[in-house]
Amino acid sequence: MTIARVSDSQTFSLLVDRTGQLQVEIRQLQEQVASGQKLLSPEDDPLAAAQATRVRASIASLTQHGDASDFGSQVLGAQDQALGDAENLLVRAEEIATQQASGLVSQSERDAAREEVHGLLQALTASGNTELAGRRIFAGLALDAPAPFADPDSAGYSPATAYDARYTQDFYVQTGSAASERVRVTTKGDQVFEPALQALSDLDAALAPGGDVKGTLAELKQGRDALAAERSSVGARQSQLTGRSTQLQALVVQEQKSLSAVNDVDLVSVIARLTQTQTALQATLAAGSQIARTSLVNLLQL
Amino acid sequence: MAIISLLDIAKRGLLAQETALGVVGQNISNVNTPGYTRQVTELESDPSTPTAGGVLVGTGVHVGAVEAVLDPILQQRLLRAQADTQHDAALHDRLAALATSLSDVSDPSLASAVNDFFDAADALARNPGGLAERESLLGKANLVASELNRRSSFVAGQQRDADDRYVNVVKQANADLGHLARLNASISAAEIGGQRANELRDQRQAVLSDLSGLLGTTAAENEDGSVTVSAANGAVLVAEGSVVHSVAVRAQGTGLDGASLHEIGLVDTAGAFIAVPGAFPGGEIGALATVRDGQLVTASGTLDTFAGALVGEVNRVQTNGGAGAIDLDGHSTASSPFFTGTDAKTIAVALTGANAARKIGAALSTQPGDNQNALAIAALRNAGGIAALGNIGFSSYLAQATAQVGEDAAQAGDAAAASQSLQNQLQTQRESISGVNLDEELSNLLRYQRAYQASAQVVNVANQILDDLLRLVP
Repeated sequence: MTIARVSDSQTFSLLVDRTGQLQVEIRQLQEQVASGQKLLSPEDDPLAAAQATRVRASIASLTQHGDASDFGSQVLGAQDQALGDAENLLVRAEEIATQQASGLVSQSERDAAREEVHGLLQALTASGNTELAGRRIFAGLALDAPAPFADPDSAGYSPATAYDARYTQDFYVQTGSAASERVRVTTKGDQVFEPALQALSDLDAALAPGGDVKGTLAELKQGRDALAAERSSVGARQSQLTGRSTQLQALVVQEQKSLSAVNDVDLVSVIARLTQTQTALQATLAAGSQIARTSLVNLLQL
Repeated sequence: MAIISLLDIAKRGLLAQETALGVVGQNISNVNTPGYTRQVTELESDPSTPTAGGVLVGTGVHVGAVEAVLDPILQQRLLRAQADTQHDAALHDRLAALATSLSDVSDPSLASAVNDFFDAADALARNPGGLAERESLLGKANLVASELNRRSSFVAGQQRDADDRYVNVVKQANADLGHLARLNASISAAEIGGQRANELRDQRQAVLSDLSGLLGTTAAENEDGSVTVSAANGAVLVAEGSVVHSVAVRAQGTGLDGASLHEIGLVDTAGAFIAVPGAFPGGEIGALATVRDGQLVTASGTLDTFAGALVGEVNRVQTNGGAGAIDLDGHSTASSPFFTGTDAKTIAVALTGANAARKIGAALSTQPGDNQNALAIAALRNAGGIAALGNIGFSSYLAQATAQVGEDAAQAGDAAAASQSLQNQLQTQRESISGVNLDEELSNLLRYQRAYQASAQVVNVANQILDDLLRLVP
């Protein structure tokens, strides 16, 4: 397009239009600097907007799976602690049984040992009733629930029926999107504690006059083995969850990088453009002022 | 040549330069008048007459015409560009507003509300007996429902706004049609003598431009100076000094808010409404119809589909497919859905009342701590292949919807920028031909002033000669 002549209206319109464009550009850049985001509307970059929506959903999902893994790990940690305590109780019970099985101890010593064993039975029951933030860790993580194991001193107590039969639900945490990415975090108290409780209860009875203490040693070992086996399983699952949590944290960081790439502004670049645009605006205004002075009106002093 | 003739020549020169100075003054005073076309004085020398000696000598100067400097083809192109620019700008404005309001690129957004809902479901899965977790899930569900309600209401409002503007455009267009008919009549009358009514033509061009921007009409000039204005289908709206067909609206179809929408048509001289589908695809009215009946309806449908799918999927899990999950009190949830409603306008949380949170079916058994169904609700976040959403998941659907409205707005923005650029180019061309340049006018001012002074000097000389002659008389 060849322009042969320029009208005054054209000159001033161009100045106004260009000034307006530059001011709009400066406002947009200021908004980017203030918000730290380059994606202010889907119109700016529709594909990036779609990607940002997907990535945000992914981050939320990964974060929840991470939280679930952490929660599961916490529960399993508490179980590990409780099972470790229970194992120690059984070790002590085996020591007592070994000492009392010799036949060289007096009845008063047996009575004292029986009292200690009864205490061990109560302690083991307390381990089975362990709570974490108000939730029974050996009873399906039920919240504000009554103790699943009956008090050994209660009437008609029997280790076989001490566990409340309602608490048989497994509790899983979801650690990934697939249905199979679940980890069981509950340990059924009756299956784990019943042999140990039974062994302690039998030892308690065997320490009565005429009781066969020696015969309880094998049972105590079985009870301890059951606790150790479950502890081993708990440890394995806790390790799995810890690893998964670490992996999820890394994935979240990766997704946040992706989100940042599409959404976050490069401050250095934007501030450089802002400065450049401000300079252009100043130049436009200065040029406009200069052009306005270059007129016959001034030269002829009309 | 008689001395008296010299005075006549000087007089004609004075009158002609005076007229030319007047035209320059008119140009200068209209330097900032939008749409003004600069004028030039066409000076013509008067015919020669023979002197006593038989020699042909000119008799002075006269103003042949005062012409407006313009390119008629460029004027036509500008009218078409105005229609395109206003169409594309209106389309972009509306789609950009839609994209921004339905945006999920920044919070608060529907996507974040949905994420929060599923986060709460995950928290419930970690503690299915927790009342706080249950209340939180209900609260987040209410946020999702209200965000969908808000968006649905916004889209319906946008459609109503577009329809209101549609009706207003028709009113404005009718005013323009009447104005054009009157200007046609005035111009034809003024130009009977062969002179051009430049100012009236400028006024008419401005009205034509306005009308073209509103309705996308075209105009063709007739020999008598009037223009015939037509719609895209060829229907004549204005001919000579009359409005042949005015435009009107009538109720047609139902909007998203349940009230009537409108369609444009022509009104004949008897006052009957004539439907003319496709007669006004351009201008602002074409853009309004496109957005109102196209993108806004699609956006509303997208929201409804999402809401319907969310209601269906969450209720399916809450009721365990009709078999019933178990709430906190051990009751079946078979007849206790989570959400009510079928679309974005009507979606609401169905679990209300004092014990609403206890009615969430987080378990599949009555055993304490059962979180199976809460896990199933949370798993919906990552569920793909939801049939109602076209076999994709919730977040993918929202991402797709975000991309769609963004793409529509971006395309409209590109088109608006392109048509604005073309119009600017044409406007620059027009200004380079028809615009007023003060330096040029000041030069002309000096030129005609000098000529006027010279003609006055001729009068002076003729006067002196006459004085000299008269002194010879005894």
